[in-house]
Amino acid sequence: MVLMEYPELEVLIAQIREISGFDFSGYARPSLLRRASRYLANHKMNHEQLLVHIEPGGRVVYDLIQELTVNYSEMFRDADFFMKVRTEVFTYLESYPTLRFWVAGCATGEEAYSMAIFLKEAGFLNRSLIYATDLSNKALTAAREGVFTLGNARTYSENYLAAGGKHSLSDYYHVAYNKAVMVPDLRRNIVFSMHDLTGDGVFNEFQFISCRNVMIYFTLELRRKVFRLLYDSLSMLGFLCLGKRETLRYSGLEENFKIIDSTLNIYQKIR
Amino acid sequence: MNKAGDNGPLSLVLVGGSSGSFVIFEEMIRLIRRPLSFALVFVLHRGKSSTAVLPELFKNKTNVVMSEPYHLDPIKVNSIYFAYPDYHLLIGPDARFYYDCSEKDFFSRPSIDATFMSAAVSGIPVKAAMLFSGSSADGAQGMKTLAEKGYPTYVQDPAEAESRRMPEEAIAAYEKHHVMADGNLFSIINDILQ
Repeated sequence: MVLMEYPELEVLIAQIREISGFDFSGYARPSLLRRASRYLANHKMNHEQLLVHIEPGGRVVYDLIQELTVNYSEMFRDADFFMKVRTEVFTYLESYPTLRFWVAGCATGEEAYSMAIFLKEAGFLNRSLIYATDLSNKALTAAREGVFTLGNARTYSENYLAAGGKHSLSDYYHVAYNKAVMVPDLRRNIVFSMHDLTGDGVFNEFQFISCRNVMIYFTLELRRKVFRLLYDSLSMLGFLCLGKRETLRYSGLEENFKIIDSTLNIYQKIR
Repeated sequence: MNKAGDNGPLSLVLVGGSSGSFVIFEEMIRLIRRPLSFALVFVLHRGKSSTAVLPELFKNKTNVVMSEPYHLDPIKVNSIYFAYPDYHLLIGPDARFYYDCSEKDFFSRPSIDATFMSAAVSGIPVKAAMLFSGSSADGAQGMKTLAEKGYPTYVQDPAEAESRRMPEEAIAAYEKHHVMADGNLFSIINDILQ
């Protein structure tokens, strides 16, 4: 049973743009189609019904945009990546008097908190600022609260230890109402703010940018544009981190980076 | 819209499985005797921390190029691809691979449904889709969609599968899949691969 095909997806994209102004035209179609189909399945409707549903004035269109854009994350996702960051990258960054990190597309904040924990353990959280941005206000609100499902804490804890965490992850949260609440101390050096990678520009200069599994949702053309933004936002010799299955290929900026780790996708800006 | 590769137009052979499928995959790769006129895509459920690199494990079984593709890599004929753990592997209408890390299907990422459904709507011809042993309902939806699109679909006989749930669910969702029993399993596979 096919819930939606590509021509219908294009109709949906046009309608969403007309009603809300939000433009999905730069989004990779295969994953967008998967998400839209899942939305239909979860709401037990077909695409004609959806088009009626997202009529002007209603809030359904915003729920839909939310569901089509939200990203899923976990703390210390890819433990080997965090291990490499804490060993190799941090050693390099140690000499800087102040440090700016950017977690681009931070969703509900898992990676930003992970970064803060490792910076704290390395002893330079106090001279670091972590900018964590996302286009979803809803995700950012959750991120600011720093409250995670306790059920996930076990996975996070395993990731943390596998990444070389020095203590116990439970040192960084307390439990309330069956939730894990991150300690306020970590929050102090994180700035959560709204930023749309596809439209907004450079807002600061960073020594480290992590944009993992975000650009996989953009088309080749938009991806190239976002790569440029990330490149322009990096200081010389700053680090760029991508998701495990992403590469610099087709970015147009292959020559401007040195590969620090080709498996974990860590690059350094060299020109 | 499909791009022609070096060895003729692109078509796909899709293979999905979970627990109990690994040995069949291994044997399947051993059966390959000549250059493939299609791209062979394997989706095997694996834990996210699975460090086994499937192309490495199967390396000396065939001369065909094997890889766990990267995001946006073009899909080429005469190549074998494996879905990477902790991501869904989608097939794009532009004949490129796309990764997605949205929620799991049936507690699985990669999910067989995600790959099969994306192939079904990609417009790229599917020469065959096969589903083997496994202990979840993943794959049933994708197989049904492919069959309804008119593509040949093959399911391992549940009675002979190490875990019968996966083939059973596929047949329950759509009863007209070709059923491969032990007696003819590898001869059917062999015919598809040549």
